Amino acid sequence: MTDNVELLAPAGNLEKMKFAFLYGADAVYFGGKNYSLRANAKNFSESEMKEAVEYAHSLGKKVYVTVNIVFHNEDLIGLEDYLRYLSSIKVDAIITSDLAVMSLINEKDIDLEIHVSTQASILNHDAALFYKSIGATRVVLAREASKEDIKRIKSETGLELECFVHGAMCTSISGRCVLSNYCTNRDSNRGGCAQICRWTFGYSNGEELVTDKPFSMTPKDLNMITHVEDMINIGVNSFKIEGRMRSIYYISTVILIYRRIIDKIKNNTLTEEYKRYALNILNRVANRESAPQFYEGLPGVDEQYYLGREELSNQDFLGLVIDYQDGVITVEQRNNFKVGDEIQAFGPNHDTYSFKIEYIINENGENIDVARHPQMIIKINSPYKLEKNDMLRIKMFDI
Amino acid sequence: MKMSKILVNINKLEEIEEYKKIGITNFLFAIEGFSIGYKTFALSDIPEFSYLLINRVLDTSSVDKLASLKDEIKRFKGIIYEDIAVYQLFKNEDIELIWFQNHFTTNYASINYWLNSGCISAVISNEITESEINEIFEKSNKPLILNILGKNQIMYSRRKLLTNFNTYNNLSDYNNMTLLEPITNNKFKASESDYGTVISDSEYFNYVPLMNTIDDTKIKYYLILNQDLSVIDIKEILEGKEFGNTGFLNKKTVYRMSEYNDR
Repeated sequence: MTDNVELLAPAGNLEKMKFAFLYGADAVYFGGKNYSLRANAKNFSESEMKEAVEYAHSLGKKVYVTVNIVFHNEDLIGLEDYLRYLSSIKVDAIITSDLAVMSLINEKDIDLEIHVSTQASILNHDAALFYKSIGATRVVLAREASKEDIKRIKSETGLELECFVHGAMCTSISGRCVLSNYCTNRDSNRGGCAQICRWTFGYSNGEELVTDKPFSMTPKDLNMITHVEDMINIGVNSFKIEGRMRSIYYISTVILIYRRIIDKIKNNTLTEEYKRYALNILNRVANRESAPQFYEGLPGVDEQYYLGREELSNQDFLGLVIDYQDGVITVEQRNNFKVGDEIQAFGPNHDTYSFKIEYIINENGENIDVARHPQMIIKINSPYKLEKNDMLRIKMFDI
Repeated sequence: MKMSKILVNINKLEEIEEYKKIGITNFLFAIEGFSIGYKTFALSDIPEFSYLLINRVLDTSSVDKLASLKDEIKRFKGIIYEDIAVYQLFKNEDIELIWFQNHFTTNYASINYWLNSGCISAVISNEITESEINEIFEKSNKPLILNILGKNQIMYSRRKLLTNFNTYNNLSDYNNMTLLEPITNNKFKASESDYGTVISDSEYFNYVPLMNTIDDTKIKYYLILNQDLSVIDIKEILEGKEFGNTGFLNKKTVYRMSEYNDR
């Protein structure tokens, strides 16, 4: 069962894509400048998409492009040319929910593999079979899919199944919310979502407020780290991380943890202790709390927030390693740290190391007590051989 | 002429005779277990000449339940469906199928896909502009359904959002609540059932004036999704009484911040 397992990462830009691959992703997904549901992310130009595909394929990895808006008439103009371009640069699949896209690919015989987006809200085998009948090779299930739904869809369709396992969740079933359109005129299903479900509301019976507490419906994030093995066993093929707008630190941390969990499952070396460590790391790197949500039943009172947005600023990321020589690392600083701090270094090719900062040397060769300035280049001691693009963080947990 | 093309959902069985008196003879019923956001009925209580509204997103066990009711459902005139499983279950049966995936019926290509796949019609989204609606009518290859009066369902969550909030705050079992958004002053209606929570607009949209502008041959039905209006209210609105708002008819949505800032 573990041979056909893919770790799928978001890529908000080329840099994030490269970090995702470096830290263990088998494939990435991103959007172009048009037709993608993160309209206000940087997204990829056509030449960047070509570069991304060539880079991914040189590593033996895959690229999926989101064409996942709900189309209006005006969006159909230029769609065929765009799909032909994606075909010409050999993207491995597109992710889409609109029949306008799927039918165009079929009618015009465009050589593109179709993965059906979570926007299609697939929670049952019959809907999945429909998409299979029109040529889809994979379906991205709705985040509301339970374990029983997933098992049944797999057994009755044989399709590749992709499931979100980590990151933010909509309050609504994906695609079934246009609160943003009504409150801000920003079209949620064309990438303009203003996340109204993370706002607060007065709670009235129609005549008066029944409480002075603000009504909130914000869900906690999704976190399936403790269920990965179970999901592999029921036939999930692709484990998808949400977050095209997240930082390289977040992406690298989350991808590395899922990579190690999947590899340990493959090698039969996964321990309860490592699962706990992984959960701790993931809980720490996120700016919101998380839960398995719908996998084992309907989420209840504990899987939501009740006071609006509850996001904590995370300043754990101390710096990016840009060189190592003879026990000294050169670091690009990201958050404040000082001599005497206990830190951890992690990277894709070695275990996580903990050590104490004994000195900090600035660009002028002077010893300083504190690295205060973002992106300042400094040198610090390292008792361990590190590599370029390893990361430093505050020591959080022992492993 | 126009009244014969009205399709209205029923909230009380007694309404049927009242509607017939004003010339409305096409009826839609939300059904127990498979519909959200509207008054539901047991299949046994629904007249056979009616359409059924199946607008839930269905999980596997719900599809099994629906499949077990297939023979009972086949006797009705048609189904307006949200989940593609409904199409799969009934596409080879002698029953009219109408595509209405909420928020997705926004372009002529998708609509024509379903019309070419055996659907008798589709309900056009009313969250697009009048010119977008007109272009869809021009380019569709079968008569379509235009939603002319109702409170739009804006959000559908599988979660029990009201129960969770009530529980967390030790409140009574409030349901059918009004949510007041203080920044934009929008009001929404939130209703919960065993199948999740629906948030609807608190105001009616009124696209009745469009009935005079659209080529009648392009129309399968004019749809009314009524929540709490009387038959008399509806008759007056159809006759031209000022009521409700014009929704998105003249309000084009944007999705890039640059477009938003340019407004």
